[in-house]
Amino acid sequence: MKMRRVVVTGIGCISSLGNDSNQYWQALAAGKCGIRKLETLPVEKLKVAIGAEVPAYDALDFFDKRQLGLLDRCSQFALITAREALTDAGIDFSPEEREKTAVILGTAGGGKTTEDDTYKSLYHDGKNRVNPFAIPRAMPSAAPSQVTMEFGIHGPAFTVSSACSSANHAIGQAFWMVRNGSAEVAITGGCEASFTLGMMKSWEALRVLSPDLCRPFSNGRRGLVLGEGAGILILESLENARARGAKIYAEIAGFGMSSDASHITQPSVDGASRAVKAALTDAEMNINEVDYVNAHGTGTQANDVSETQTLHQVFGKHARKLKVSSTKSMHGHALGASGALELVATVLAMKDSLVPPTINYLEPDPACDLDYVPNVAVEHRIKAAVSNSFAFGGLNAVIAVRAVD
Amino acid sequence: MEKISIRVIELIAQAIEKTSDDISPSSTFDELGIDSLAAINIAFDVESEFDIEIPDEEIHKLKCVQDVVTGVEKLLADRH
Repeated sequence: MKMRRVVVTGIGCISSLGNDSNQYWQALAAGKCGIRKLETLPVEKLKVAIGAEVPAYDALDFFDKRQLGLLDRCSQFALITAREALTDAGIDFSPEEREKTAVILGTAGGGKTTEDDTYKSLYHDGKNRVNPFAIPRAMPSAAPSQVTMEFGIHGPAFTVSSACSSANHAIGQAFWMVRNGSAEVAITGGCEASFTLGMMKSWEALRVLSPDLCRPFSNGRRGLVLGEGAGILILESLENARARGAKIYAEIAGFGMSSDASHITQPSVDGASRAVKAALTDAEMNINEVDYVNAHGTGTQANDVSETQTLHQVFGKHARKLKVSSTKSMHGHALGASGALELVATVLAMKDSLVPPTINYLEPDPACDLDYVPNVAVEHRIKAAVSNSFAFGGLNAVIAVRAVD
Repeated sequence: MEKISIRVIELIAQAIEKTSDDISPSSTFDELGIDSLAAINIAFDVESEFDIEIPDEEIHKLKCVQDVVTGVEKLLADRH
């Protein structure tokens, strides 16, 4: 069977850089930082009181009160971005197409804010009753369910969870389903809303949070900065997209996965390299074709050195010619939404021939010796790109993208 | 000061399921099989025991048992 080519025809995102993909891209292109003092948490209880929260967010701008009763912040973000992405794609679904459309979203934590509120009322406030919708709000699969209901989508729908790789695993699965014909359209990406006191204290306890900014690949980096938000991409076959005259952002060319089987938090160069190579093989993409890598780039000591070694291992001499940037320096680490936010950044970078920078970069680290596009975006034609996600627990997922002429 | 060293060794011994006799101040984390994650756990136990807070960056610098003892002594001294 001949495999179909799969393209991105709609995008949407919400993040610390704004409520839509236009604001997001303007901020990335300008090297704007979305990391600020946390507004939604009692910062006096935190050692690290910064994060990349969605700014000035009022759910009532997007939903009525009755709807909100059933929506955790995580599902809210998914719905807002799905609306943007579907409007952008301009698909007018026929009943048959509704049955052949998939909704596959990644999330690391699901409805964390609902869980935190529930436990707070029981253990802290001394109440003996909780929100009657605690379960349907908090279940990790709530977001794809809500998307199917709002848009009347009847095809395969589920959540993929693999910590920081969740969105890439979800997008990869959706890509393969459209490619092999088991879905005509896919609404895919990731969503995360994990700014709760419990989650922040837990991340603090793991001692990987930076107390100031996220400075990926830079000397003086002090760790990651948590973020939140959602990113959604609409995938369909190139043939369908051309037939209906859709705007095409880029082609999803390949997907690769691997597991390190080594350590629950430390990354492995070999494991990550296998995932990148698998994505290139799946895309039938030569290493010399790749112009840009949207790095996992968390800003931790361990990730950034390991990811640099991974790129050397996979790309050999060509690694030095790559533009490599971590947009997490701007939108923070939105965990299960990260891969989607980063793939949106990647396809927009291709469209505008502009590589978003790695901001907050101070000075080179001898162990990180590639071109990280420090602090200022650069104009650069991108014919092919790779977007990396390497999760805790060694679950790696990499997506390869090509420009469509 | 001697007491701090003994208690730190006891805490590390419990964390890695060894006895205090297997551990001396000069034992390195590598010798004891303590990786970065185990070090975080030991730091947590030590913080609880002595009611101190060890800065994140200091934890990554700990290479041997004596480093932990010295760090605890310093944090306790700073507090007084």
